[in-house]
Amino acid sequence: MAGNRRCSLVAMSMINALGASAEEIWPRLLAGDQSGFAVREDLVPGVPMIVAQIGTPLPPIPKRLERYDCRNNAILLAALEQLEKPISDVIERFGRDRIGVVIGTSTSGVSDAEIAIRHRHETGELAKAFRYDQLEFGGAANFVAEWVGVGGPSYAISTACSSGARALATARSLLALGICDAVIAGGSDSLGRLTTNGFSSLQVVSNSITNPYSANRSGLTLGEGATLFLCTRDPAGIQLAGVGESTEAHHMSAPDPDGRGAEQAMRGALADAQLAADAIRYLNLHGTGTQLNDSMEGAAVARTFGDGPSGGAAPPCSSTKPLVGHTLGAAGVVEAGFCWLTLREAGTDGMELIPHVFDGVPDPEIETPPLVAPGTRVPRGPVMTNSFGFGGNNCTLILDGEFA
Amino acid sequence: MIAARVCNWSAWSPGLEDPVAWRQWASNPRELSGEGRPRADFLPAMLRRRCGTLARILLTAAFGCCEDVEISELGSVFASRHGNINESIDLLQRLAEDKPLSPTRFSHTVHNAQAGLFSIASANRQPSSSVAAQQDSFACGYLEALTLLERYPQRQVLLVMGDVPLAPDFASMVDEPAGSYGLALRLEVCTEDDAVTFGIAPGDTPTSRPPWPDAIEFLRWCLSDEPVLTLGRGRRAWHWQRNTAETTAAA
Repeated sequence: MAGNRRCSLVAMSMINALGASAEEIWPRLLAGDQSGFAVREDLVPGVPMIVAQIGTPLPPIPKRLERYDCRNNAILLAALEQLEKPISDVIERFGRDRIGVVIGTSTSGVSDAEIAIRHRHETGELAKAFRYDQLEFGGAANFVAEWVGVGGPSYAISTACSSGARALATARSLLALGICDAVIAGGSDSLGRLTTNGFSSLQVVSNSITNPYSANRSGLTLGEGATLFLCTRDPAGIQLAGVGESTEAHHMSAPDPDGRGAEQAMRGALADAQLAADAIRYLNLHGTGTQLNDSMEGAAVARTFGDGPSGGAAPPCSSTKPLVGHTLGAAGVVEAGFCWLTLREAGTDGMELIPHVFDGVPDPEIETPPLVAPGTRVPRGPVMTNSFGFGGNNCTLILDGEFA
Repeated sequence: MIAARVCNWSAWSPGLEDPVAWRQWASNPRELSGEGRPRADFLPAMLRRRCGTLARILLTAAFGCCEDVEISELGSVFASRHGNINESIDLLQRLAEDKPLSPTRFSHTVHNAQAGLFSIASANRQPSSSVAAQQDSFACGYLEALTLLERYPQRQVLLVMGDVPLAPDFASMVDEPAGSYGLALRLEVCTEDDAVTFGIAPGDTPTSRPPWPDAIEFLRWCLSDEPVLTLGRGRRAWHWQRNTAETTAAA
């Protein structure tokens, strides 16, 4: 990796259905804990829906930023507060104006707009507390920038379920361009009636906890959460080593069944990281549990890893969506966060991998990658994560290095 | 910083539908109109039916900017302050009325819907991003286009920025010039001599803003002989500077 492309992921924070910090979440991921799921009757009329929701109280939005007050930003704030110390360090090092913010989100504050619009339906006027800054995508990034008090560029990336992954790709480029010396990059998405009713209308929501790569899989389970990274050009530490991107020119809400776009993204990330496929030690699958995602992703993984010089086995793979749900616009960076923890927690005996939790019945009709069993350890090395979104937007990331 | 330049442009707004009209506008600029949409008859009928007004405008600008290149080979960035938020607002109203959602309409509420339709219409499988940044949406879209040039310096990047008026009840909450418009810029890596320099300066924002959108002010600047453009409100300013006397806009 060229020195001017360095993107050191110096700190990371997260909140999701499994907890309010990485310290809480990591052991639960390794244990295959599915306690973050709950049945909600109030989201889709007449349809109880299982969702992975944040159970802990969220911090209040400060009064001076009340125009950004929405659940999505409160989730972001819960992650942001955990990064206060490393962020103040980079502010001291580089100055406020050299720090940028890039946030991936597909929901922004739409769940609060829903309340405002229901209020309008009932009373003729939008709820008084509603501000457009809560709803618009760009609000999430400016909320973070203003809360921290940094003056570099701040913007939202919204490419559906690849948004969060793309935020890290952009962070690396902002560092390489010399526009920023540090970037706060991540993503946040929150549960609400628009997304739950929307996915329900697409008939892709499972009526039990998502069961990816199973013969019995019946769809995805929605979740919510945020993950933030602090990125710098420091040479040490865990690095964003590779970025691969593609679009599909196929369909607005379904992937190309051949998995060509997914394969192009994975191959692009390997080429960018200058790695052979057999160097990858772990792959965090997109693994939504829909019929089509798992069949196309399985085929793409088999092709990407199957024709390498080693002759072909994919690394151990898991989908973490049976543990934290599909966090949509945040998913790419949520799962990059899990990859970062996999590297950070590695010891002399290698890396312990997050298990693939499903009903244990592989689908003979699809190409199933090697799925991680509980307690699996592998030698330390590069890890990959896949994110594929609506509009046919795909992004694969590779992380590598030792925690500094 | 990477050296990049604008190698072509195309724009659409009601009544301003070709380069000649835009050149005349640039010599006598005025507010844009909010009413109207392009025919977009270059799109197959099936696809055109799925395109709302914003998609028609952005795809018209995008295709108009690429007549001399292989459009399927370009990277792309779609920037919009509001994107399809009017569509989300409509669907939220339906939910308030306890009406079911249409799956097709829901899948078009994503901010990258226009990018997805562009990818399908142009058989383009290259990297693509979609951004929003409140009042800085154009400048941040331009910056995002530079990030694609950073990752793929051999590949031209199409930056497409546009908006349509926000739904009533919401429009009054937003300080943004009126009008429906789309601007497409094709950016490429070039030598320092030919470059348009881009930079950010903290706390140094222009005191007055023209009554048309930032993207269109950028186009006006491209068509002028002014050496420097400064945009921005609030915490920072965005600067562009030409390094040559020649116009950066070929069209």
